[in-house]
Amino acid sequence: MMRKNPWLYYGQKLLIFVLSVLLLSVIAFYIARLAPGDPLVSYYGDRVEKMKPAERAWAEEKLGLNEPIHVQYLRWLQGALRGDFGISYKYKTDVLEVIGGRAVNTLILGGVAFVLIFSLALGLGILCAWFEDRWPDRILCKVGTVISCIPEFWLSLVLILVFAVNLRWLPSSGAYSVGNGGDVGDRILHLILPLTVAVLNHLWYYAYMIRNKLLEEIRAEYVLLAKSKGLNKRQVMFRHCLRNIIPSYLSIMAISVPHILGGTYIVETVFSYPGIGTLSYESARYQDYNLLMVLCILSGAIVILFNLAAQIINERIDPRMKENALVETSEVTEVGR
Amino acid sequence: MEDRFAMVGIRSAPAAKPERRRRRSLPLPSVLLLAVIVLGCLCCELFIPKDPAYMDLFHYTQAPDSEFWFGTDTMGRDVFSMIWYGGRVSLCIGFLATLISTTIAVVFGSISGLAPRWLDDLLMRFTEIVLSIPSLLLVVLIQAILGKANVLSISLVIGVTGWTSIAKVVRTEVRRIRNSEHVIAARCMGAGFFRILWKHLAPNFFSSIMFMVVMNVRSAIVAESTLSFMGIGLPLEVISWGSMLSLSEKALSSGAWWIILTPGAFLVVTMLCITNIGNALRRNVSRKESNL
Amino acid sequence: MAEILLDVQHLTHCFKLSRSAAIRAVDDVSFQLRRGEILGLVGESGSGKSTVARCALNVLKPTEGRILYKGVDVCDPKQFRANRRMLQTTRQLIFQDSTSSLNQHMTVADIIAEPMAIHHIRPKRGTLRAEAEFQLKYVGLDPTYLDKYPPELSGGMRQRVAIARALSMEPELLVADEPIASLDVSIQAQIINLFKHLQDEHGFSFLFIAHDLAVVRYLCDRVGVMYRGKLVELAPTQALFDDPHHPYTRSLLSAIPIPDPRRERARTLHSFDPAQFGREGALVEVAPDHYVLQRGGGA
Repeated sequence: MMRKNPWLYYGQKLLIFVLSVLLLSVIAFYIARLAPGDPLVSYYGDRVEKMKPAERAWAEEKLGLNEPIHVQYLRWLQGALRGDFGISYKYKTDVLEVIGGRAVNTLILGGVAFVLIFSLALGLGILCAWFEDRWPDRILCKVGTVISCIPEFWLSLVLILVFAVNLRWLPSSGAYSVGNGGDVGDRILHLILPLTVAVLNHLWYYAYMIRNKLLEEIRAEYVLLAKSKGLNKRQVMFRHCLRNIIPSYLSIMAISVPHILGGTYIVETVFSYPGIGTLSYESARYQDYNLLMVLCILSGAIVILFNLAAQIINERIDPRMKENALVETSEVTEVGR
Repeated sequence: MEDRFAMVGIRSAPAAKPERRRRRSLPLPSVLLLAVIVLGCLCCELFIPKDPAYMDLFHYTQAPDSEFWFGTDTMGRDVFSMIWYGGRVSLCIGFLATLISTTIAVVFGSISGLAPRWLDDLLMRFTEIVLSIPSLLLVVLIQAILGKANVLSISLVIGVTGWTSIAKVVRTEVRRIRNSEHVIAARCMGAGFFRILWKHLAPNFFSSIMFMVVMNVRSAIVAESTLSFMGIGLPLEVISWGSMLSLSEKALSSGAWWIILTPGAFLVVTMLCITNIGNALRRNVSRKESNL
Repeated sequence: MAEILLDVQHLTHCFKLSRSAAIRAVDDVSFQLRRGEILGLVGESGSGKSTVARCALNVLKPTEGRILYKGVDVCDPKQFRANRRMLQTTRQLIFQDSTSSLNQHMTVADIIAEPMAIHHIRPKRGTLRAEAEFQLKYVGLDPTYLDKYPPELSGGMRQRVAIARALSMEPELLVADEPIASLDVSIQAQIINLFKHLQDEHGFSFLFIAHDLAVVRYLCDRVGVMYRGKLVELAPTQALFDDPHHPYTRSLLSAIPIPDPRRERARTLHSFDPAQFGREGALVEVAPDHYVLQRGGGA
């Protein structure tokens, strides 16, 4: 009963999203402000030690550090709503500007990795399910388990050791060679190793998931029926089983965004690839909390967004997951008439 | 109505017991290998040839030979001794962090599972927000607050960031069980929150989180080594598999592969054993459930 | 007339389905349970019998109305807290489904001794285990079952364990929520006889909920009939079966099969039209101790 108004439904989800991000920003702001380390130091460097108290006070006022935290937060929020997220203490420019330059690189790395992971996982999963318990499946399962056990950073190290240091085939760091920023071929060459690590690290997890879901479907009774109708294995697999797992696969893809993003951050750091990951790592090391905070909120917002997307997909597939699943009853009366 | 009932018809013979399939509950090779590694790390003083912290200035970055079995690192320390000695720290952090995160997860999940709807919604929303911050950033932030890292603070950081997925499972299970009649019966009898949690809820969700707990040990060890490798975890003086690998940048430039490969190999083997055990546990649980 | 142990007054319970909709599971139900009697509550599924039982034991909080147990208002948090121990030890509940009412991960001995362990009662027979063994024998099970887990027992055995658990506290009020509905007919008979035997011996008051009229007739002293959350008729068993007043009771009684083919063939079914059922009205005493829901009847 009660088919919900779609506008209301999506409005509700949007409200949840906004509230979550707001709460996230409060948490991140307080942590950033309460964290040890003098923001003045990261802004002015060593000069701070030589400052007179008056200069210090002036500097603090300029950065808005002399007010109570909640006032600072509200002021920051006001600015943020207008698109002004404050300045990075280290780069001394607008935070968005700093992030914007790096975000493209992360988006390329993460995006390509994402597409590769999920298309390859689908292929491998189908392959394993097709050859269930025969040698291709067994070998893939063994190899996959081993690879998924290798920590990302160590895999990167080994690849650098082999391909960059010993064989000298591929570059080991950066997004492009110095002075060669516009060359697409050069950029692709720099992307190969980080991409390999990012893909290999997550690939098996999702391939295995697909394999198991497919096998679960194959054991269902409707498959028996389909077979008795005379469909062959390929038709059963692609027309029935695969179609049934695709929706849940989509929601898994949405949920997996934080994992893949987090993995990308580590890979970026190891390969000194100029993306969000290296940026957040640097901002943490140089105590550039304003930047770090915005990065946290940004990544968090993306993750929350995709989580909601997954939730919506799930509720579409399976109405039981809807929060207020009601039963049709004869004696439903209004409360609080 | 009478107590006696006549037996009508042919009484069928009791069905033959189904042939018991031989089932291996745990993968023996993995368990043995893990046991060797853990025992070796715990009792390393008995057999390591060198002092792992001693820096031999005459033999730095030396390839493996008969004296230094796994070579020496860029600071002249014996890699073989360091591996066993540092494994102790790595494993310890793995278990400690898991203990912390499991405790948080069980308490948080149970509270959320038993709480009224609105509180449950609120708590789950909170978990989602915590989960939404990439854990690397969270670790960096907390690390910055806690100051200079040691074994305890690192475990704390990893534990505090790694509890959400277990908490979600606990919460789902608790919500499923909490309206079952044996919990209502216990509540009727006057059992308190902790008695219900311990006697009635925990045994029921224990099997379903066991796999996740084991995997948590694995990810905690990985997290430690990643952090230490990046230089925001344990400092160089505290030997662990991660901090050994933090020398790898120098090792790369000098082509000292043993500094990178040996600690990593140990790491990977340990991960593999833990994964195998975890997977076996999961299989056992699902088999048990399908038998019911 | 015997002392009144449980006094349910104008009990109403609504289940909230969402912010705007609710279902009235129990609607203005009043009855009294006297010390030492067996009161049966019958009705079709969904008629609110179980909800009454659960309200009486504080599992659910009534929306309106009062429930007095030994003069204590159990719905009042203050009075409940003051008498918590007494309330929790002297009232016991037996559920319909013994698979879910017994914790699968506890042994039979632990299950039976659990109420004693919760209230830190010193067992009369030395140890908790000895007590559990005694109770187990008392409900007719072999002590070898003490270390078994519920899934290893049959349905009848499990229900006996549940009864043993309830009896271990020597309750004054025992509420059984369809305790035999999920059992085989032959086991049902055993359990009913066990109840009768135990009640003879202990003399506890017994609120017995069932949908099987034959069982109620055999076991109970008085019977209440519930329909759509209303108590439509309440009378001593004999009076109810001989002279049912409410049309719903009549149709219910006419549906009982008679184990005699000739009379069974002659049986006429009284049909009852739900549309005729009036929710308003109150219980009216038509004969001594025989109450019927009637339209316009003033209380």
